[in-house]
Amino acid sequence: MIKFISDYQVLIFGLIKIAIMLGFFLNMAPVLVFIERRQAALIQDRVGPNRAVITVPGLILKGALATPALLAAAAVAGVCFALFPANAPETGVVRGFWMAEFAVLFAWSHALILAGFVRISGSVANPLESFLHEMEDPRWIFYTGLILHVTLAVAYGGLSGPNAVAAEKAFAMGGPAALAGVLAIVGAYLGYRIPSGKVDLRAAGLFHSIADAIKFAFKEDFVPPHADKLLHSLAPLISLFPALVTFAVIPFGDNLCFGQTDGMLDITKLADTTARGAICAEGQSTVSLQIADLNIGILYLFAVAGTGIVGAAIAGWSSDNKWSLLGGLRAASQMVSYEVAMGLSLAGAFMIYGTPRLGEMVRWQAENSWGIFVQPLAFFLFFAAAVAEQKRTPFDAPEGESEIIAGYFVEYSSFKFAMFYTGEYAEVVTSSALLTTIFLGGWTLPFLQRDGLHIQFGDTVLFHAAVSHLTLTILGVLTFFGKVVALSFGQIFIRWTVPRFRYDQIMSFGWKMMLPAALANLVVTGLAMLVVDSAGPSVTSALRLLADLSNAVVVAAMLYVVVKFAMLLLSPVEREKFTASTAAARAARFGGTPETPMQA
Amino acid sequence: MGSGIVGKPIARPKRNATTQSYLPSIVAGIGVTVRHFFKNTKEMAMGQRNDPVLEAYDDGVTTISYPEQKRPYPERFRGLHRLTLREDGSPRCVACLCCSTACPAQCIHIVAGEYKDKDGKVGWERYPVEFVIDELRCIFCGYCVEACPCDAIRMDTGQHAVPYDSRDQFVYKREMLMSFGDVNGNKQSENPRVEPAKGHVIDRLKH
Repeated sequence: MIKFISDYQVLIFGLIKIAIMLGFFLNMAPVLVFIERRQAALIQDRVGPNRAVITVPGLILKGALATPALLAAAAVAGVCFALFPANAPETGVVRGFWMAEFAVLFAWSHALILAGFVRISGSVANPLESFLHEMEDPRWIFYTGLILHVTLAVAYGGLSGPNAVAAEKAFAMGGPAALAGVLAIVGAYLGYRIPSGKVDLRAAGLFHSIADAIKFAFKEDFVPPHADKLLHSLAPLISLFPALVTFAVIPFGDNLCFGQTDGMLDITKLADTTARGAICAEGQSTVSLQIADLNIGILYLFAVAGTGIVGAAIAGWSSDNKWSLLGGLRAASQMVSYEVAMGLSLAGAFMIYGTPRLGEMVRWQAENSWGIFVQPLAFFLFFAAAVAEQKRTPFDAPEGESEIIAGYFVEYSSFKFAMFYTGEYAEVVTSSALLTTIFLGGWTLPFLQRDGLHIQFGDTVLFHAAVSHLTLTILGVLTFFGKVVALSFGQIFIRWTVPRFRYDQIMSFGWKMMLPAALANLVVTGLAMLVVDSAGPSVTSALRLLADLSNAVVVAAMLYVVVKFAMLLLSPVEREKFTASTAAARAARFGGTPETPMQA
Repeated sequence: MGSGIVGKPIARPKRNATTQSYLPSIVAGIGVTVRHFFKNTKEMAMGQRNDPVLEAYDDGVTTISYPEQKRPYPERFRGLHRLTLREDGSPRCVACLCCSTACPAQCIHIVAGEYKDKDGKVGWERYPVEFVIDELRCIFCGYCVEACPCDAIRMDTGQHAVPYDSRDQFVYKREMLMSFGDVNGNKQSENPRVEPAKGHVIDRLKH
C-alpha cells in the first residue's frame, strides 16, 4: 500500500488536492447564497429564510452530535495516558497546560450555549437547567471562564520553587484528564438532552439554498424558439468553467516535507520540523499544497478568467432577446475594461515579489510583510476591479434588474441558470482566494515562520518557540480557508451596502480613474524600489523593522476584532415597551406575543 | 410689471476629495450594514430579539412570523361566533329568533323546539334544534350579539374564519358553535343566569 502510494504519489496527491479545492469551492456557492440571504434579512431587520425544515429522527441526531465528542474524549485520554504518557516532563507540562485551557474553554462555551438554549426554548429538564434558566445574568459564565483561563496561565507561568515538581505533575496529568472529562460530559449531555422523537432541523435557513439547487434540477429547461441552440447551451458552461479552473494555481498551504525510503517519498515519514526556507532538507521529498505550480502562475489566472467574458457575451447574443443582448454587450465591455486595470494593478506586486508564482508570493509575505502594507493602493484597485469582473454591485449593470431584467441570462432557466449562479459565487470565492494570496498573506499568520513562532522586531527577538511541521501545516491550511471565507463574507456586505453605478460611470471610472491610478502605482513602486536598492543597509534594516511592525499591526487588528466581538456578545439589551394599543395591552397581559417554538 | 419668478438660490453640493473619492462613504455604509448584521444575529441567536408587538418601535428584528406568532387581537375584536353554555352544558339560547331577525346579512338560521316533558324548562323556554351561521355571509357587524336577550351568542372567540376547501364548510352548525370558548377557553357566559328549573325564577320575576 505504502509502496503503491510512493510510486504514484504525484497522481494521488494531485487527486487529493483537487478534491479539497473542488469541494471547498463548490460548497462555498450554496453557503454564500445562504450568507447573502441571511445578511439581506438581518441588515433590513427581517427574520430571513427559515422555513425549509428537515425532520430527523432524534436517535440519529444524538449519535451524530454525541459520538464525535465522546470519540474526542476517548482520543485525548488514549493519546495522553496510553500511547504517549507524559514521560518527558517538559512536553507533558506544555501539553497539559494547553489541554486544561481548552477544557475551560469548552466548559464555559458549552455552558453558555446550554443557558441560551434553556432561556430561549423555556424547556427545563433538570436542576442544572433550572439554575441556568433562573440565573440573573448568564454573562457570569463567561467571566468565570475568563478568570479560570487567567488563573491557569498565571499558575503555569509561576511554575518554579519547591512545589514545582508536584505542580508540573498536576498539569501533566490533570490537563488531559480535565479535557477528556469535559468532552465526555458534553457528549453524554447531548445524547441525554436531544429528544428521541422527531427533531426539526432548520439550520437558520441553510437548507433553502440546497432546496433551490434540487428545484433547479427538476425545472423545465426552456430554450427560446429562435435562439441559437448550440451557443445557448454552451454559454453557461463557458462562464462556469473559468471560475472552477482558476483555483488550480492557488496555494492553500506551505510545502510539506516527507522523508524518503529507497529514494522514494514515504508518507509515513512526515518531517518533525523544517528549516526556514521553502526547500526541504537533504533526503526529503517536497509536496506543495497547490494543484499546479505553474511557472507563469498568475498569468494563467488572467488568461483563464478572461474567457469568462466570452460566456457572458455568447449568452447575451444567442438568447434572441433584446435585454439579453444589452446585458451581454454591457458585460463584455465592462469586463474587458476592468481586466486592464486588474492586470496593471498587480504589476507593482510582481515587481516587489519578484515572481509570478503564487506560492513564492506568499512566501515573500511570510518573510517580510503582507502585500496590503506593501501595495495598499493596488489592493483597493484590485479589489474594485475584481468586484467589477464578477459583475456584482456596485458594478452589476450587466444584470441590472431594474433596467434590463436579468441581463445576459434573462432567457436561462433550470440548471443552466444554476450554472450561471454557481459561476458567479465561485468567482467571488476565487477572487477572495486571489486577494488573500497576493495581498493578505495567503496561508501565513503574523510572526509564524516555517520553523516556529518568532516575535521579533528588527534584530531583537522577544519570543521564540519551535512549532512542529504538522501543526504549522494544519494551521496554515485552516488560516487560508478562514481568510477566504471571511473575505467572501465581506464582499457580500458590499452587495447590500452600495447602490449600482450608472453605466457611463462604470466606464469612466474604469478607464479614467482605475487605469491611471494603476499606472501611477506602477511608476511609484518602480521608483521606490530603485531608491531602496541603491540606499544603504540602514534603510534596509529600517524597512525590516517596519515589516515586523506591520505584523504587529495585524495582530493588534485581530485582537481588536476579537475584543469587539466579545463586547458585542456580552452587551446587554434594554428595550422600551409600547403598550398604548389594545393589541399591545393584550400581548402585555399574555407576557409577550404568544408563539410556538421556532428557529431562526 | 414684476420682475418674474425669483428662485431661491441653492448652493451646489461641495465636491471635496472625501466625497469624490467615494471610498469613505462606502466604508461608513459598510459599517452600518455590518453593525446591523452582527447585532441582529446576536440578538436572534441569544433570544434577545424584540417582542414584535410590545417592542415593535425599538431597533431590531420586529417581524411577526405568522403563523407561529400572531398579533393578539384587541379585547373587543369581533371574531367567530360562539353559543354560550349553561352549567349543564346545554345552550343558553332560547330560540327567540332575535339574532336572526337583527342580522342584516341573513346568515343565521334557527329551528326552534320545545324541551322534553321531564325537563324543568318545559313551559318556560324553547331551545334551538338547529342553529346555523353561514360565516361566509356574515359581515361581522355584531348586531346578533346586541340583539340577544340571554347573552347566548357572543363573538369573543378571538379567532377569525379560517380558509376551507368548500363553501359548505363555512356553514357552522350548532355543535360547532357550542364547542368554541372565549379567548381564555371559557365556554360559559360572564353573566351568570338564574335557571328556571331551580325555582328561583319566580323570585326574580317578582322584582
